[in-house]
Amino acid sequence: MRMTGTWRSALLAAGLMAGAVASAAAQKAEWTDVVYVPGRWVGGHVVAQRDSLALVMRVDYFASPPRWRAEVRRTADGQTLGPADILVGSGQRAVVVTQLGTTPLEQHVLGRDPMVRALVVFDASGRRTGAASGRITERAADGTVARVVFRREVRNPDFDAALLDPGAKAGGRTLLASGISAVGDQRSASVVATAGARGVDRVQTPGGSVPVTPDTMAIVRMEHYSVGAMALEAFLRAGGLGAYAVPADTTGRHS
Amino acid sequence: MNRTSRPATLLAALGVAASFSVATAAPAAAQSIFDRLRQAANVARTLLPISTEKEIEIGRGIAATIAGRYPVSTDAALTRYVNLVGLTVASQDPRGDITYHFAVLETPTVNAFAAPGGYIFVTRGALGLMRSEAELAGVLAHEVGHVNRRHVINQIRKSDTMREVKNQVDIQGGVLDQLVGSGSNMLFMGLSRGDELEADSLGLEYASSAGYDPGGLAAFISRLDQHASEGALADFYATHPKPNERIERLTAIAQREHLTGGVQLVERFQANMAK
Repeated sequence: MRMTGTWRSALLAAGLMAGAVASAAAQKAEWTDVVYVPGRWVGGHVVAQRDSLALVMRVDYFASPPRWRAEVRRTADGQTLGPADILVGSGQRAVVVTQLGTTPLEQHVLGRDPMVRALVVFDASGRRTGAASGRITERAADGTVARVVFRREVRNPDFDAALLDPGAKAGGRTLLASGISAVGDQRSASVVATAGARGVDRVQTPGGSVPVTPDTMAIVRMEHYSVGAMALEAFLRAGGLGAYAVPADTTGRHS
Repeated sequence: MNRTSRPATLLAALGVAASFSVATAAPAAAQSIFDRLRQAANVARTLLPISTEKEIEIGRGIAATIAGRYPVSTDAALTRYVNLVGLTVASQDPRGDITYHFAVLETPTVNAFAAPGGYIFVTRGALGLMRSEAELAGVLAHEVGHVNRRHVINQIRKSDTMREVKNQVDIQGGVLDQLVGSGSNMLFMGLSRGDELEADSLGLEYASSAGYDPGGLAAFISRLDQHASEGALADFYATHPKPNERIERLTAIAQREHLTGGVQLVERFQANMAK
């Protein structure tokens, strides 16, 4: 009887463990890291400065242990985020998804960037290391602040697990749609990210179908461009336009 | 001169007339015009509206595609000038929910594009054929007219993709991609004759109301006709109504509405092109 009870306990424990493993394997997680370094942006470079933080990248993570995916958008001015570099991994191994396929991170140019290598925030089983949400300060060996990460976890992650497969190209659209391309302009971020994800596409023209690679950053620049109200006012005044237009019958100007 | 009498009513009537002429161009023998109008009204009722927010999202994707087809100019002085002229005419657009953005495309192709949501482009080739600021204003105002009337969005609403969409939230991800693709094709292949003529009418109104010579757009179209045999104009001619028809119509509207006067600003235009 005692032996039977022991076996029952062991089986129960094994069952629970298997269930826990299965549950963990099926557990999806989704979060965003916004990464800053000490300094400020000046002319396309971060100038070291202790009392301010410069935004350097935003990373959207999607995970279902042991597999995960990171969509990395970097900035060159602290204002706008560039198109996504996509890393897909299993445990601590990561590959970079390219137009042609995948390349191991350590063999890709991105792998030379310590900021990118630091994005592999997973243990060998693919579980995230570090806090689920909040401010994470990482320090260099000398104790100075190396980078600050603001992490926000999505409460009910809902994405297609097949998208963690580096070969599932079509799925990228859904994932990328959750990204943001312009800091401070989240209103229509999804389409910028989506358009960027479209990659090389084709459009119909009177001369036939032609390949097009959507340029999302050009549109972000367009949106951020402003001539200023004062300049417009001066332009109208100088040209005799708008409120400064003189009725034709008093000037004799005719077309 | 009767600048205060806004031709909105006239434009609406012209729009209806244009739609009517298109509708009657291919009469269905077994149906009366009333049957077809009733059917059209039913279809319009079943089409899901697209919110301004989604219009802008779709427009951004289409604009990115345009910018991918032709590079956006980084000429700061030229971009500034085109934005100043564009904002001047766009200020006459009564739509208050759109922020307009203007850019120059670096291509010798002669054309201009308006993506939904207020993203307007004019090509370097088109600028090269213009002679005055009034002509540039006329072209940009025509594009503003397309945005005002949501021409591309209205076509997108009729697309097969939209038939599967039940609410605004569904317009994202892959669906959004497909709508952006459809809208991009529409722009590059050309909008309907009725839409182009309606944009002409609105462009005339906006440019004239802003203080420009109302003949600017017609003058530019007329000059295009003189360069009709040039390859850079091939797409333009394939996607727009015949120049003579547009010029006659623009002239008739200007006369009917007593739109005269206004400035051409030839020197300012040339000075900005020479920078």
